[in-house]
This record gives sequence, structure tokens and C-alpha cells, in this order.
Amino acid sequence: MYRHEGEDVFVIDSHVHLWDASTENITHEGGEQFIQCFYDYHTGFTPEERQWDMEEYRNYGAERMTRDLFANGAVDVGIFQPTYLTEFYAEGFNTIEQNAELAEEHPERFVLNGRFDPRDGDAGIRELERQKEEYDIQGVKLYTAEWRGDSKGWRLDSEESFRFLEKCAELGIENVHPHKGPTIRPLNRDAFDVADVDDAATSFPELNFVVEHVGLPRLDDFCWIAAQEPNVYGGLAVAAPMAQNRPRKFGEIMGELLYWLGEDKLLFGSDYALWNPDWLVETVMNAELTPEQRDEYGVEFDLETKRKVMGENAAELYDIDIEAKKRAFRSDEISEEFGLGEQYGADAAAD
Amino acid sequence: MTGEDSPRARGDEHGSAGGAGGTDGSVDRATVLDRVARVTDPELDRSIVELGYVTDVDVGVDGAAVRVEFRLPTAWCSPAFAWMMATDVRDEVRALGTVDAIEVVLTDHLFDTEITRGVNADRSFAAVFADASPDEDVDAVRETLANKARFSRQYLAVEALLDAGVRPRQVVELSPADLEPLGDDVAVSLEDGAVSVVVPADPLDRYLELARAHGLVTGPDDPLFVRPDGEAIAPDEFGHVHRRARLAHVNASGQASICEALQSARYDDGAAERSGDAGTVGPTSSQESF
Repeated sequence: MYRHEGEDVFVIDSHVHLWDASTENITHEGGEQFIQCFYDYHTGFTPEERQWDMEEYRNYGAERMTRDLFANGAVDVGIFQPTYLTEFYAEGFNTIEQNAELAEEHPERFVLNGRFDPRDGDAGIRELERQKEEYDIQGVKLYTAEWRGDSKGWRLDSEESFRFLEKCAELGIENVHPHKGPTIRPLNRDAFDVADVDDAATSFPELNFVVEHVGLPRLDDFCWIAAQEPNVYGGLAVAAPMAQNRPRKFGEIMGELLYWLGEDKLLFGSDYALWNPDWLVETVMNAELTPEQRDEYGVEFDLETKRKVMGENAAELYDIDIEAKKRAFRSDEISEEFGLGEQYGADAAAD
Repeated sequence: MTGEDSPRARGDEHGSAGGAGGTDGSVDRATVLDRVARVTDPELDRSIVELGYVTDVDVGVDGAAVRVEFRLPTAWCSPAFAWMMATDVRDEVRALGTVDAIEVVLTDHLFDTEITRGVNADRSFAAVFADASPDEDVDAVRETLANKARFSRQYLAVEALLDAGVRPRQVVELSPADLEPLGDDVAVSLEDGAVSVVVPADPLDRYLELARAHGLVTGPDDPLFVRPDGEAIAPDEFGHVHRRARLAHVNASGQASICEALQSARYDDGAAERSGDAGTVGPTSSQESF
């Protein structure tokens, strides 16, 4: 568990992946360009001494992921967000099956999300039911801008999409994470557009919509929608690492988000392995608004707010009992492996 | 849509623009670069020259042939945005009026070949990308971004006024007729001329350039600033409108930080080996320091 100025902070990393971009898995040049672009994001916002080389970045494996998330106690629970891209990668880039490999090994440490694509029709509905039955998913990650055949993507507020959202509501899959950021193949369509979240959120008040990457580069549209929809949240993946080398911009973006959405509506995510929580959690925890920013926005990014953003808000959405988790983590497998028991209140007596 | 009244056109801060280089009417490299500097990244509202996108400007010996090469922070930059920049470069150089052959080359992009060929052949976006969505044309995206750029500039202009002590109630009452140029500053007349304050001209000029191009401020007595929908701002709406303008500004400048980091990850240090390329032309970009 992360310790900040003597205080424990329970961290739920709401956006992690276990991907495979090894050259053997790439079947289309888009797959190579995709991972190269990720790598530019990685190096662009990672301290030089913490940057990975390209080969380890392509395919890091379950063991390394476990170490990166948990070894230094930066993360307590991780939420897997799948990314299929099966047109680029033979076995997919980051599918629920790939993620399940690790999630099922440490079920107490991971939440495993699924996905759907309304263009799959009836087969897609059956697949969603299978994901619920097999993995008891509580959330889905969605890529509205993904191209398929003649289709240039889909809208969250379309009739086909509503059929899937209805199914989510029926199955109790309450958390919907639309990716609104870098896209697969945007042409003239503004694939970053967040307008479709508005109607979907109004029509499904029983679902929560966590807009990943806070709509960047459409922060203005996103904040405006989120300010009016009580069930729209912001996922901080991509925004968070700006705290490292663009602290003033990070402060401004947090100021806007806290002003328009409030401290209960924001979820920390590292986007691992885009960035590694083993340094990113500390960076965000140490980030501060300048006095001018606090004055301008009339908000605080203090310990209480950080606790919410780093874990409590995600716990609320995913029914995670933080106190029960802390008790369980005194002696779970991960804590045993990395000697974390004491962080969760286990007796230090043994040694 | 090119030339002085273009919403994308920038001021002349990079020197003389639009003029010819030689006495015979031919252009030189500096003239071309000044002209190209007017083209903005539509999402960031900043000059592509200042952003370091332009990697080569080549002017033939007689000034009649011009080749401009540029690249973007990632291969995944929206093709629609790349298309806008490529066509704007072509149109700005063409507007010089003396160049017979213009070649615009986009490099290191997912669709660099398609865009380069299409722009130089004067084809339309829809013709180049047969799979583009017919219901959302590139001009609509351009207009959305241009409106955001104007609103973001409004924020900076209003901030300059507030910094000079102008009150919100006075800001919403201003018209172009209340502004009088004063060197690098502007004298702003308040309370029917009873009071005058001096503010830097640049943020007001930059805002007005787009507000006029968009037809929002046409006459001397029009409201100087408007809401996102183009209507006048009521005094009690000022705070809300100004906060939304701030949000537009934070979005653009935040995205600029991301693009800048991507660009530097791609082209600095080990980048030369990946791109087989080096260096950009034009003034060093003046990035915000932290």
C-alpha cells in the first residue's frame, strides 16, 4: 500500500493491460505502428532512467507485470481493460483471455473487464453473456472508433449500441469505459468526439460511463457533458503522467476536472504498460496545484481528494470494500511474495 | 478559403508576409516560410513552423517552383488534420501568386503517400479516402476546431483586460470602437470614454483576427466578445462564459504538451535512426517552460 507523508493510500489502478505486441503476433503494419506510437507516449512521459527498451515493451509477460504493479506497494488492485485489435494482431493485442491469465491467478488483486462491439450483432450478445458467465465481468472497455470492414466505427448512442447497453444493465455490468483518445484509424470522422456519451449516459442512468483519457484532446467537450451527467466519470490515463514533465499543465487539467466534475468523479489509471505505476503513483501523489491554480479554480488537490482519485472512487464503482481488502492482503499470495504484509497491518513479529 | 481573411491565417509576427522577394515578382525562401508560418495545427491553434513540423522549404532558382516538406508528432495524427495542414500550405503558397509549381510533401505518416498525392493533384479529401465517412466532411471538422481556437483566444484576450483592471461588467460592454492602437499596446476606452486603460495588443489582435474571419465581429459597435453560440454575453453570464473559454484554452494547450512530448520522443535523440531525418526549419519553437 502506498504511504504518503505517513498516511496509507489504497491505490486502485483503474486501467492496466497485459499486451502482446511481439513481432510474431503482428499481422498488419498497423500493429507495428500502433506499438511504436505507444512507445513514443511511453518515452515522452517517462523519466529517462525509468524508460523500457522496445523489446521488453512489446511483450513483458505476467510475471513482470505482477512485479511492476505490486512489488513496491504502488498498486493494491488493478482493473484490466481489454483492447482487441484482432485485425492487427494474430492473437489480439490485449484480450480478456490474455488478461485472464493473470487475473485468475490473483483474483483478489485484479478486476477483469470485458468488451463488446455492437457490430457483432447476436454473436456479440452471446459473447457478452459468456464473458459475464465465465469471468463475472462488472465492466466493459469500448473502442467506438475501431474500424471494421466498411464500417468507420460506431456510436455509443446508436440503436445497436443501446441493445448492448441494455444487455449490460440486465447482466449487472455497470461500468462502461469508452476510450476517447488516440484511435485506430480516424479519417474525416472526428473519432475523438465525446458527444455520443451524452445521450447514452442520459438513457442508462443505472450504468456508469468512465470516459478514458478524459476525452483528451476533447477535454472541453468532455467536461461540459460530464458536468451535466451525474453518471459520467473521467479516467485519468494519459493525463496522469503529465504530472511528471508537464506539472503546470497537469495542474490546469486537474483544476478543470475538479471544477467541472468534482473530486468524486475521477479515477486514476496508469494505462500500464504505457506507463509504470511503480513511479507514476508517487508522481501523482506528490503533484500539487500552484497557489494561483487553487485560487483560479477554487479546488484542492489535497490528500483527501487524492485518496478518492487514487482508489476510493473506483472502489465505489466496483463495490470494492477497501477495509476488507486490507485485511485480506495481510497474507495473500502477492503480499507473501513481496513482503507487503506489514503495509496492510500484519504483525511484524515473524522476522 | 485562403489569404488574409482565412480563419487559419496568422498575423505577421514572422516578418513581412504576402510580399514578393525579388524585384521581378519572384519569391525567395524567407517569403515562402513567412507565408507557410500562417498555417496552424488546427487542433493546437499554433503555427506549424513554430511547432517545428516544417522540415524543408525549397525554392527553385527562378522562384517559380516551391517544395515544402512537413511531418507531424505521430504517424497516427488524424488524417483529416494532416489533410487540412497540407492543403493550407498549398493554398498559402499559391496565394503568393507568383509560384507556378507547388509541391507539398507529408512524411512519416500513416497516410503520407495518399495525402501528398491528393493535395498536389488538387483532389478532394473524399476522393482520396474513398472510405471516408460521407456524412462528416472535413470542412465541418475544420469549422469546429476554428471555433474552439477563437474561443480559446477570447480567453487570453479577456484575461489581458482583467489583468489591466477592466471589470467583467465593462468587458461585456466593449466594442471594437473602444479600442485604439497604441504601438504594441491598445488603449481601451471605458465608461463612455471617461476612463482609458492600456493593454498589450497581441492577445486582442489574435482574437479579433479570428472573430472577424468568422463574421462574429463585423461592425465597430458589435459586442467585442460573445458566447460560444455567437450571442452577446449578459453581465451575469460573464463568469460562466469566461470559464468555458478557459476550458477551451486549457484543452488546446494541454494537447499541445502531449503532441510536443510525442514529437520529441519521436525525433529527438534516437529518433534520427527511426525517421532517417533530422532538423526542422524556421524559428525555434517557444514552448512553455516548466
